[in-house]
Amino acid sequence: MFPAQFDKLQIMSHAVVGFPSLEENEKAITGLADAGVKLIELQVPFSDPVADGHTLVNACYEALKHGGSVRAMLDLATKVCARHPEVTFVLMSYLNPLYRFGLEDLFEQAVAAGIKGMIVPDWPVEEIEPWLPKLDALGLAPILMVTPNTAPQRVEKIARAARGMVYVVSRMGVTGHETQWGEKFQNYIAEIRKHTDLPLAVGFGVRTSDDLAALNGKAEVAAFCSQYIEWQRDDGSEVAAAKMKSIVQTIAAA
Amino acid sequence: MIRSDNGYFGEFGGRFVPEILLPALTELEDLFFSLRDDPAFWQEYVTLCQEFSGRPTPLTPLRRLSGQLGGAQIWLKREDLNHSGAHKINNVLGQGLLVQRMDKKRVIAETGAGQHGLATAIMAARLGLEATIYMGAEDIERQYSNVFWMRQLGSNVVAVETGAKTLKEALDEALRDWAASVETTHYVLGTACGPAPFPELVSYFQGIISDEIKEQSMRQMGRLPDEIVACVGGGSNAMGAFGAFLDDHEVALVGIEAGGISFEDGKHSVRLSHNTGETGIAQGYKTLFLQNADGQLGDTHSIAAGLDYVGVSPILAYLSQQGRVIPESATDDEVTEAFSLLMKTEGIIPALESAHGLAGGFKRAMQMRPDQNVVINLSGRGDKDIFNIARAFPQREWTGFLQREAARSTELLAQKRGH
Ligand SMILES: Cc1ncc(COP(=O)(O)O)c(C=O)c1O
Repeated sequence: MFPAQFDKLQIMSHAVVGFPSLEENEKAITGLADAGVKLIELQVPFSDPVADGHTLVNACYEALKHGGSVRAMLDLATKVCARHPEVTFVLMSYLNPLYRFGLEDLFEQAVAAGIKGMIVPDWPVEEIEPWLPKLDALGLAPILMVTPNTAPQRVEKIARAARGMVYVVSRMGVTGHETQWGEKFQNYIAEIRKHTDLPLAVGFGVRTSDDLAALNGKAEVAAFCSQYIEWQRDDGSEVAAAKMKSIVQTIAAA
Repeated sequence: MIRSDNGYFGEFGGRFVPEILLPALTELEDLFFSLRDDPAFWQEYVTLCQEFSGRPTPLTPLRRLSGQLGGAQIWLKREDLNHSGAHKINNVLGQGLLVQRMDKKRVIAETGAGQHGLATAIMAARLGLEATIYMGAEDIERQYSNVFWMRQLGSNVVAVETGAKTLKEALDEALRDWAASVETTHYVLGTACGPAPFPELVSYFQGIISDEIKEQSMRQMGRLPDEIVACVGGGSNAMGAFGAFLDDHEVALVGIEAGGISFEDGKHSVRLSHNTGETGIAQGYKTLFLQNADGQLGDTHSIAAGLDYVGVSPILAYLSQQGRVIPESATDDEVTEAFSLLMKTEGIIPALESAHGLAGGFKRAMQMRPDQNVVINLSGRGDKDIFNIARAFPQREWTGFLQREAARSTELLAQKRGH
């Protein structure tokens, strides 16, 4: 399940379906679950991932060569959701692969597979709103994004449509670069909290245990994605899982 | 010019972007909506185009070629005579006026053939703005002369190495830059695609082409033309040439896409005709995309870098669905043939993009009567294609020259390093 508001910081990590391969995805997810990660995004690779930096762009490119698709994501989800009931799995995708699959079918099949939420960065709130009754009936949470330049009125609109968590994009730009966590960031978080009781998942630029220490007590979830994918790419899934384990232990002890 | 219904044209269009880009798009839309019906703003734009780009561009009758082909009278709308050598500058000059009003100091752009990048580099130099131009590494190789000039003009040209390294990837990369820089940077989108308000805004500025065609045909033909033909990459020159005629149902509007080598996947860039494109949502908008069953955007091919693109203007997708615009295509071979024919018969060197319009237009003119008139939008001139044309018509003399020139420039570089 999603954390409650003001729960202790926990990590959300990532799998790009098909990267480095479909078989490896299963092992990597077992590694993450054993490391104590309780939230995992399953990213459907896309040919044109405009909100992602080079790490995830390249991972998508590789994943597509190894069979990554909506279908493959659903198959993977069916297995890993059953195998790791303590982990909450969230679908992450750009809109077009889902749109081509058929949105209604996708929602139903994702829920049947055990998926609890979805993050679709190029799907604006106006386009999601008409789907809310359907999503609520199914229990599939649209985790919507708020960014540092989102006007307060729009934060309110987004917060009203969001379910499960609000995804707080930590800074301007795409995934994969560093972020500053100073006063400006804290004011930003405080402003969002005015509009929602949902837990906040902070993403974009969470790369080190220092970043996590800075987020401790400020957000409920830290999305630790590009850095994990880089470990997976450079050192393999086992070493990446070991590194995640030490990160998870550090924040548990904090 | 056509107006959207809240960013949509029928089912196409919209604004499907990461949340971070939304404020800039609404700011741009608010500004555009506040200006577009203001005659003083349009006059400011027209004057700028006159003073800086030599507008109005002529409507040139092709008397010799029309006689030779034996069908309708063929006229060329000479967008090739714009400063920078293509219609792309119309849109860029218009967006330059918006940049000044928004008081942004940096611009970015995607470019395929390099014509839009070149126009943006020119505008940035003229207005004292910093410019970064994203261009697929493959397109840089195909259109190097434009890259050379963009850099001389002071722009930063970034080679995009992802995917097929063409226009689609350049557009993705420009969007990524914009996500980080949106508060200080304007994205000068180069065609009638992308998230609202770009399709409408780009078509508005390019509409100056059809305003002129209308006036010139009344004066030169004594009536409206029977057909207007334009090549279709993203769709900006086509929307520009068609815009003022949408309600003149006696004027047929024909868009020519890049037929490439064949209709096999990855060998063409045909999205509107032949049911090759399918509705999808990517790069910020909903339109007909070349894509696979999993919703991954496909590979494209055209001899012309400016037409080598997976999506198409949502306005053209809508107009062709409505039957108002007739989509057709021309193959690489038909294009080089039309290129040669125009050059040898009329003394005009067209861009390879525009030569698609020629190939399609000549074919249609031949089916028509001599008392009918076809206007083909000659979107750009062919200087940038010297290397491509040299490759299409190989000559020993040219190869020899390139070798001597390479030796000379290597020597110059070595001398410079020696100092
Ligand atoms: C000369 C010329 N014509 C046509 C095009 C195609 O673009 P559009 O369809 O937006 O006019 C380009 C694009 O680079 C171009 O340079």
